[in-house]
Parts: sequence; C-alpha cells; structure tokens
Amino acid sequence: MTRVQALFAAAAAAIGIGLWFAFNSTADALQGEYSRIINIHVPSFWVAFVAFGVTAVGSVAWLRSKKSRWDRLAASSAEIGTLFSGIGLFTGMVWGEAVWGRAWDWGDTRLATTAVMFFVYLGYLALRKATPDPLTRARRSSILGVIAVIQIPLVYFSVNLFRTLHQTQSIRPDGSTMPDEMLMAMGINVLAFTVLYIALLSARIEVASAEAAAASQPRLASDGVTPPRFNEVEDV
Amino acid sequence: MAHRRFVLFGIAGVVALVIGLTLTSLGDNLTYYLYPTEAIDQRADFGDGEPFRLAGTVVVGSLDDSGETLTFDVTDGGATIAVRLDGPPPSLFEEGVPVLLEGAWAGNSFIATEALIKHDENYETPEEGGAYDDQ
Repeated sequence: MTRVQALFAAAAAAIGIGLWFAFNSTADALQGEYSRIINIHVPSFWVAFVAFGVTAVGSVAWLRSKKSRWDRLAASSAEIGTLFSGIGLFTGMVWGEAVWGRAWDWGDTRLATTAVMFFVYLGYLALRKATPDPLTRARRSSILGVIAVIQIPLVYFSVNLFRTLHQTQSIRPDGSTMPDEMLMAMGINVLAFTVLYIALLSARIEVASAEAAAASQPRLASDGVTPPRFNEVEDV
Repeated sequence: MAHRRFVLFGIAGVVALVIGLTLTSLGDNLTYYLYPTEAIDQRADFGDGEPFRLAGTVVVGSLDDSGETLTFDVTDGGATIAVRLDGPPPSLFEEGVPVLLEGAWAGNSFIATEALIKHDENYETPEEGGAYDDQ
C-alpha cells in the first residue's frame, strides 16, 4: 500500500467512526435531527481554515525560497480549502432553511464574509489556471495566498463583532455551550475531517509533482505534427 | 513593468472587494436587528410601515393562533412588544424560542411579514429540558 492509499484508508475509517458518533449522539431539544449537520458543517470550515492557513504558510515559504514544492503545497491546499468551504456553505444553507426558516441572508456578516472568502479563493484557483508560466503563477498566487488569509479571523470573529443571525461560538475558552456527548461527536468529526484533509493534500501534491515533472520533459520534434483524424481523410 | 502593474491592480481589486463588502455588511448590521427595548427607544426613527428587523424571545403564554393570523409577544427581558405575524411561521416556531422578525410598526404593535428562528449557541438534550422543551 502506498502512503497516499494508507492515508485514505485511515481517513475512511475515521470518517466512518465520526458518522457513527454523529448519528448516535442525542439530538438537540429544539432542532431535533437537524442538529446533526453540525458534524459536517463545523469540521468542513475547520478544514477550510487550516487549509487556507497552510496555503499562506506555503506562499510565504515560496516567496522566500522560490522552491516550487512550496508553491505546490500552497496551491493544493487552497484547492482543498475551497472544496470544504463549499461543503460548509452548502450544509449551512440546508440547516438554515430547516432551522431558521431561510437558507441565506446577505445581511448576516458571518454568511457574507464566508461567501466572499469562498469567492476570493475561487479567484485564487482561477488566477492559477490563467497563468501558464510557472514562475509568474507562483508569484501571483503566493501574494494572493498571503493576503487572502486575513479573511479567516474576519470570518471567525464576525459573529462577535457584529449582530448576526448566525449564532456565536459554542466552544469558548471558558467552556462550551453544548452537552458533552454532542461536543465529543463534533470533536471526533473534526479529527476525522483533518485526517481526510491530510490524505487529500498528499494525493493532490503527488499529482502536482507529477504534472511539474511532465511539464519539464524535453519536447520531441514529432510533437509538432498532429496525425489526421480518421473521418477527416477522404480516401482511406 | 506590465505584469507587475497587473498584479498590483489585481491585489488592490481583491482587497477593495473584501473591504467594501465588509463595510457594506457593517453598515447594514448597525441596524440588522433591534431588540424590543431598542425598538421602543427608537420608535421615532421608524414610522408606521417603515421596515426593520425585531429580535426577541416569544413570551410563553402569549401565543394566540385562534384567529386568521398568529399573534404573540416578544421580549428581551426588559421591554415587550405585541406582534402579529402575516404569513406562515417557520416550522420550529413555538413559545419560548428566540425569533428574528422582519416587518414594521403599526401603532404599538409590530406587524411581521417574515419570522425566522434565531437559534443561539446553546444546545440541550431533551432530558436537560431547559428553555426548549421536547415536542
């Protein structure tokens, strides 16, 4: 088994355990079964924040060393972070529709800043796609990767700084506002999602390294000739 | 150099977008919602029919669904306002829950066009009882 395969096996086991706890902990008295969504929603944004933090670290490291492995780390992590931001936003909307009575509200600062964060990192991915030269691509995305990470504390503390519909933190320095078994289930899922993140990151970096190696292969002269397609040739 | 200018404009654009959107939300959030005490204090700023959002807890024992529309009181522990809800309540609506209402004053009552459950950060199992009783 390769390292990446082992990581995915561990992630699958961890997610399985997390799901068991998610469905076997007692549901909230007011929300009922909808409260279980917290076991996907919070871990997804946890992964997104960690991933975007790693992107910032990789970006700084690239800017200082100019070694392409840091750029690959930053970009791979940003991709995964964007994915989990999307999952977090989606699960949040499902929960909001069920519990609040409304899926979205731009007037809520937590929702608005999270959506902006998602779009900014989509822009990061688009920027990379639009820049063919590896050195320019690394330079531009590393600058964006460093700037965009400022959004993480902005998003996280938005519920404390502004009046919002989205509730404030349930886990604080002085304790939590959740029953222990709900907290434990959520904590296990946070760990499980972290294992999944590490697996995805390892796999994505491997792909990126392979892409970089292939791109640096010397071109053959015959690459300049394209054979005709079968149905384009009149008399075969 | 051309590419450096492109990068700088791109960064400036992103930063401007983030700051602009944040400030817009900040502007809205200064009055995103008012609690009953504040709503009564600022009664002069919001005339009859002028929309704003009211947040509070549904007073236990105040819910009346016998008529065509739902009426109840909302409180923040200090002041209490009578509310009439035009339209269906959200599915988790009941006495004792925190709500966020969109609507306007009509005399001394608040006519709500939309009601949302404003779930706070507290979670309780049904056995714990607390503010939310299991249906």
